[in-house]
Amino acid sequence: MHNVRPCRGPGVLARLELPEFPSPRPSPAGRGSSRAQSSKPLVATVSQTIGRQSSLSLCERTGVRGTWRPRFRSAGALLSLGGSLIALLSSTYAATLPKDLPFPLVERFESFGIKDGFPTHKVHCVLPASDGKLWVGTWKGLMVREEGKFRKIGVEDGLSHQMIVCLVEDTRTGDLWIGTMRGLNRYSAGRITVFTQTSCGLPNNVIYGLEILGDTLWVATAAGLGAMDLKTGTWSIYDHNNTVMHEPWVYSVTGAKDRLFVGVWGGGILEYELSKAIFKEHRDPDRDFHFDLVPDDGPVSDVTSWVAWADGILWQGTYFGLARYDGSRWRTWQEKKSPLLSNFVNCIYARGRVAWVGTDRGLSVTDGATWVNYRSNENGEGLIEIARPGQPMETRKIKTRLPDDFVLGISVDDHEAWFATSDGLGHGFFPPSAKTVTAAAAKNSTEKDKP
Amino acid sequence: MMTRRVLKWAGLVGLAGIAGALGHHFGGNAHIRRKLGQPPLANATCFNCHFVSTRRLPWAQPRPHHDSPAGLAVTPDGKRILIALDDRNEVAEADTTSRQVLRRAKASGTPYGLAMDPAGKRLYVACKSADRVLVLDAMTLEEVGSVTVGMGPVAVAFCQTSAGDRLVVANSMSDDISIVGVSPLKELSRLSAGREPFAVAATANGTRAFVANRLVGLASVKSLPESELTVVDPVAARVVKRESLTSAHLSEGVNLVAGRSWALTPIVKVRNQVPITQVANGWVMSSGFAVLDLASDEIVQLPLDEANDYFSDPSMVVSDPQGLRAFVASGGSDVITVVALDRVASWLQCATPSAKADAIYDLTLSSEYVTKRVPTGRNPRHLALSPDGGRLFVAERLDDSILVVDTTSLIPLGRIVLGDGGLEDPIRRGERVFTSSAYTFQHQFSCRSCHPDGHVDGLSYDFDGDGIGDNLLDNRSLQGVAGTGPFKWNGKNPSLEIQCGPRFAKVLMRTEPFPDQQLHDLTTFIKSLPPPRAVRRADGNLSPAEERGRTIFFATRTADGKEIPVSSRCVTCHAPPLYTVRLPFNVGTKGSYDTTEAFDTPHLLGVADTAPYLHDGRAQTLEEIWTLYSTNDSHGVTSYMNKIQLNDLVEFLKTL
Repeated sequence: MHNVRPCRGPGVLARLELPEFPSPRPSPAGRGSSRAQSSKPLVATVSQTIGRQSSLSLCERTGVRGTWRPRFRSAGALLSLGGSLIALLSSTYAATLPKDLPFPLVERFESFGIKDGFPTHKVHCVLPASDGKLWVGTWKGLMVREEGKFRKIGVEDGLSHQMIVCLVEDTRTGDLWIGTMRGLNRYSAGRITVFTQTSCGLPNNVIYGLEILGDTLWVATAAGLGAMDLKTGTWSIYDHNNTVMHEPWVYSVTGAKDRLFVGVWGGGILEYELSKAIFKEHRDPDRDFHFDLVPDDGPVSDVTSWVAWADGILWQGTYFGLARYDGSRWRTWQEKKSPLLSNFVNCIYARGRVAWVGTDRGLSVTDGATWVNYRSNENGEGLIEIARPGQPMETRKIKTRLPDDFVLGISVDDHEAWFATSDGLGHGFFPPSAKTVTAAAAKNSTEKDKP
Repeated sequence: MMTRRVLKWAGLVGLAGIAGALGHHFGGNAHIRRKLGQPPLANATCFNCHFVSTRRLPWAQPRPHHDSPAGLAVTPDGKRILIALDDRNEVAEADTTSRQVLRRAKASGTPYGLAMDPAGKRLYVACKSADRVLVLDAMTLEEVGSVTVGMGPVAVAFCQTSAGDRLVVANSMSDDISIVGVSPLKELSRLSAGREPFAVAATANGTRAFVANRLVGLASVKSLPESELTVVDPVAARVVKRESLTSAHLSEGVNLVAGRSWALTPIVKVRNQVPITQVANGWVMSSGFAVLDLASDEIVQLPLDEANDYFSDPSMVVSDPQGLRAFVASGGSDVITVVALDRVASWLQCATPSAKADAIYDLTLSSEYVTKRVPTGRNPRHLALSPDGGRLFVAERLDDSILVVDTTSLIPLGRIVLGDGGLEDPIRRGERVFTSSAYTFQHQFSCRSCHPDGHVDGLSYDFDGDGIGDNLLDNRSLQGVAGTGPFKWNGKNPSLEIQCGPRFAKVLMRTEPFPDQQLHDLTTFIKSLPPPRAVRRADGNLSPAEERGRTIFFATRTADGKEIPVSSRCVTCHAPPLYTVRLPFNVGTKGSYDTTEAFDTPHLLGVADTAPYLHDGRAQTLEEIWTLYSTNDSHGVTSYMNKIQLNDLVEFLKTL
């Protein structure tokens, strides 16, 4: 998805340099944004540390990702021992899965790709539908899994474009809405209907995000936000002409009961109150999109790549970190200053009070306090990192891993998780007893999270 | 002396006349040129732009109403039949034995489709112009509830499902299907249908409902037209299948055959991309029915016609409780065709796949399974069977009566007389001409075959003999056509009388022209057709977007203040109240086979419901007129608009 987004700013440039990672992907040390990050954040880290001394975990105070890393570094003699320990742990992983986490761990991954009939290794989005089908948007068409088998639906079947960027299901009708790089498609009981910017009121053919709230389909496009009344077919457009939107690139849209959050690439987040038809803007107060000069003051950056909402919590993914908004208070996270795997956030799936964050270096899962990361090491082996508040980060090897660390799409339910990656589709299994976090279950962890 | 005086005055009057004529000619033409921004491409008079009022048009005048029967529902005991009288806003109840009308009840909103629950306690009425389903107590015919559904509901089916009782409603104007919960009465879901869903049937256990769609889906005019048979799960309130009916349309009925896993729907098989000369040399449209085998998911189209005699406008189909016979109403031929379903089954069992695929083209095939043609009164449309299948009720729409046929002997038992037929009314007489195929070569089609209810069939036809499908012309609606002459896309027919006159008969219908009286009645009927219903807000006011669109439509300057040339303003050619000045203009749409650059300016009343657009139907939506087919601002200056403004303009057009 992202390697074809409009080229604007260093984040996108960096993406364009990495169209298709081989798997296992080499260390992203050469990535443009990483270079920028690594050369600057000390001042910011110091200032934020002074300002939040009392509230920060050890992890944050040290300004690196996880307390375990500096300790191991300072005790270099333990490094080789650590490796042996990890190997030992990996052999007994299933038996030692921690059960005290506020969200389930993925105990096993399986991968699907070209060997399973996929037309390409690049998968952009994944959506389990209410009728049991699994829809997978790829770089070269739409895949659907029915009765365990994948089948391709492509341009030859009527899709407006091969590159599927986003999917949403109207759970009332079962219609699937498909956003592509050239037009919007409705898949309804086997029939595809195409909506383009020339044939209807769609603002633009490049579609980044979809959401359905009530009778309205919201469409995030490269030229503003579109809204189609599903009963009348009437379109409304929201862009710089009639809202406070500062940039036209709407990358993401998510519904939040009575309101809508719109992620604008370079324009922060717009909050749209449906009953009053009022837009409110959330911008990064420090206005620096590279650095989070004043943490927790608002969105981490204006370069919003994703917004996701669940259970009263809004999550913002950017190319420069992750942010959370509970309606009154913001919190921000960046790599090295938190367990967040990478500042380069591709996607977020919010479930309960937990965010599943897909980055260019793997998957981070957090409720804001506890973190679990899934990634690969230099040898292509799967790693799981667990960071509890105030405790050292725990790292284990796992036998299976994500198909690729470049995670572009996520879907999670009580039993399983799906991951769209740049090298296939990942399927994560939870232990049978695992449950994802609801508001009530998350209360304790949220309490811990208070400053 | 006297002679000189007379000559003097005559000379003066003559001079004044000449001066007046010259003044009118030069001054008038200058005025027209100024107002149009260009010389007119056809003769123009003051009446093109002035003294036009929709209030004076025939369709705006009061007209007689008739007791035209529409939907029928027979009570479970078979003793009574309920009849929707859409033109009267009434529902009538009649005794099926005595064939007497027992009473009538008011049902406002153009009641059209009926359904009754199995207990016979509730009657559900689809009210076409009120966008609601009315619930009547089947005993008292008093209203006990109503529910708002999509636009233009015309058919409703009741089904008992595992999740409770459901209604499935075909909304013809909003192209969707409402799934309604009966208790409480509430719309549960709105499902997208094909184009103009028109009939519904549901299985007894409510697991499936089938919706027949009248028009083909919007697609390139040069692709094969395709209509849809929509299969719905009423419990899940979802569409589960969209069956394609290739090169077929105008399905106005659907029926589930007892004892067989079949759904039947009548079709008009159309070949719109061959020159219309095929009327005499073969056929352009023929009638048939499609058999959908629910078990194998196979659709076979079968003919109803005979090689040299056609039975046009098949509108509804019912089958007996034993699944042995189906009855198809042919509205254009005033006939009920009786189909032996066991013979159909035998043929299907033996037929090869290629024979099945070609079956619809073999008009001799009908002799295999058509056992009888039962003559009826004028324009049979809706059908119903008594619960035991012993009596067939046929709504003779333009006779204001219900024909009762004994299904064993296939002999008519008599009629339920609802009205006098209205033959004093020229509009009614004209509608009879309009719906009859008696005037067409071998009865292949009626006016209604291309203009269902006087509207569009959504197709473009090849009217020229210049090849196969090379030069298609969009079929224009006849609704709201009064006062918008000249007619045809080239604007060559100055009146409807000429449009529908001898040349039309020779070129298109391949028969003798309509007799004068019938031609007059026909044009009177056409002129009485009001424009298609527009999309309007309940309060009658324009929405903010529509209001902005109205401003754009009447704009004389672009958004940045630059003056729009007079010739390129919307309102110059599409002046209210008809939104046409009835002159041809060049809007840059000349195709490679067109012989002219200038095309007649269509009126815009009800334009939202008349897709596709432009003279050859190349634009599938209003947006495409400007986004794809208005190069260099050839169809009005629109290039200054952003997408929001174009959307606003389209929203305003939908309100006309």
